[in-house]
Amino acid sequence: MEEISRNQPPSDIRIAPELHTREITLNMGPQHPATHGVLRLVLELDGETIVKCTPYVGYLHRGTEKLGENRTYLSALPLTDRLDYVSSMNNNIGYVVAVERLLGIEPPERAKFIRTMVAEMGRISNHLLWLGTHALDIGAITPFLYVFRERERIMDLFEELCGARLTVSYPRIGGVRNDVSQKFLDDLYAFTEEFPGRIDEYETLLTVNRIWLRRTKGVGVIPAEEAINWGLTGPVLRGSGVRYDIRKFAPYDAYDKVEFEIPIGYNGDVYDRYMVRIIEMGQANRIIRQCIEKLPKGPITIDSPFTLPPKGSLSRRDKERFNKDYYSRHFVLAKSGPKEAPQGEIYVATEVPKGELGFYFISDGTGRPYRMRIRAPSFVHASALPRLCEGGLVADVISNIGSIDIVLGECDR
Amino acid sequence: MTTKELIRKIFFVEIFKGMALTFSRLFTHAVTRRYPHKIRRPAQPGFRGLHAWSGERCVGCKLCAGICPSQCIYIATETDKETKKLVVKKYDIEVLRCLFCSFCVEACPEGALALTEHYEYADYSREALYMTMEKLQANWDKYMAGKVEDYFKRFWGPRPEDFSTPEEQAVFRGRK
Repeated sequence: MEEISRNQPPSDIRIAPELHTREITLNMGPQHPATHGVLRLVLELDGETIVKCTPYVGYLHRGTEKLGENRTYLSALPLTDRLDYVSSMNNNIGYVVAVERLLGIEPPERAKFIRTMVAEMGRISNHLLWLGTHALDIGAITPFLYVFRERERIMDLFEELCGARLTVSYPRIGGVRNDVSQKFLDDLYAFTEEFPGRIDEYETLLTVNRIWLRRTKGVGVIPAEEAINWGLTGPVLRGSGVRYDIRKFAPYDAYDKVEFEIPIGYNGDVYDRYMVRIIEMGQANRIIRQCIEKLPKGPITIDSPFTLPPKGSLSRRDKERFNKDYYSRHFVLAKSGPKEAPQGEIYVATEVPKGELGFYFISDGTGRPYRMRIRAPSFVHASALPRLCEGGLVADVISNIGSIDIVLGECDR
Repeated sequence: MTTKELIRKIFFVEIFKGMALTFSRLFTHAVTRRYPHKIRRPAQPGFRGLHAWSGERCVGCKLCAGICPSQCIYIATETDKETKKLVVKKYDIEVLRCLFCSFCVEACPEGALALTEHYEYADYSREALYMTMEKLQANWDKYMAGKVEDYFKRFWGPRPEDFSTPEEQAVFRGRK
């Protein structure tokens, strides 16, 4: 008698008459290969439907902002390579443009054209990697191999340009590091002649493919108004139909001297973001061609108190070329950064492939920023993930993460 | 749905177009490189690889250590009592912490430091990648032999003396 009563449920718990399932909590990431790094999503699932999605970031936090405050304006540049390591060239340029505005200097014309050119190369390289991995996550393996073929050529060109393939550190405050060689220009032009055909190949594989359409159309829809409210920028915002591009509305470098168009979507779903990026690659290609064709002759760095002087004038052993002013300036710059940086604060935004990258500096007049704040597009976009995912299916989380194109190095900074 | 769309849908037109593309790629050259086994491509000139340092050029000004973003260069100098000259006693680079940004090379007024085109220096121990004076000097002798002048002229001193236009600058030469 005793045994039986023990096995029965306590009398104060009533079993519900209707059948219901319990919501389960699923940890997606930080090691999931489709989360593009170390993004962790906590999903609450009702069957296959997502009830709640919470992104957790910070697994790749390296304190870039604080590190930047402990370094001079000159030597904090390589830190920005490591923000968005997929398009480090654009990050460098964003930083350099911001510091130049703060210091009130303007790079020479040739440097501006070179920067615009390499920034668009970075954009193509970023979008290629995005396309490959995004398609791979959804299940299309072939484009992944195809895009790496072209990306490799861009990497080789970067190597020829500045000696590094991924973390380039190529632009400098007041110009660029070294001049482009004739071989580089010829190779790059040959690439731009070939590249539109390659985009057609990717489009043949994906754009009209019925599996691709099923996985992307109507998934992760965000209307224009909400996209603005969430603070989205870049291709994600343009995919929702907002015509906003910093290259057009607040041009920096040589973007006001080249012609290009801004593609915008209509529905704000994954497919529209895909199309926006595909068209953007073609436009970037167009900008590169114009930059090569219009590239003027001239100096690549300005002579200002904030730029390192040419090497030939620095050696005391070379009595003829030695320049005392340059020598003392070089010494101060390399040791402690610009001494007479103007006081004040500034926010400068540039258009990187991911969206709007902003640098905010508070300068207290020393060679180091008092505060360096980075507005990273990936961080803002990751915050919109719950809005995109909730109410959808588990499989569509992957499409959504891919379509907002986040890099966690930049997100966690 | 028009008839055309229906036909496309029934006969998998777009799938076959994609398949035709992948099939045509079957007969082209492979773009992948079988890196360590078959192809070892030399790095392009000006590549930022392993460090090299010349003892006779270095004057011990410590500018490289000053500008280094990751602060991985350690220098100790001493004034020689007889000749009153600065003597470099210690010059170490911790390669594992280096960012390969080449700022040290740009900062060096004497051209005593270089990033060579040698890039296959992976090792199993930390000690092997902690470069002391002797190792750096050996790198200089090995990888920079005969190309020092050209190297600094082309890659690390590209700015002319007065920030003006160099004569033979690269410009667009027209379509081929």
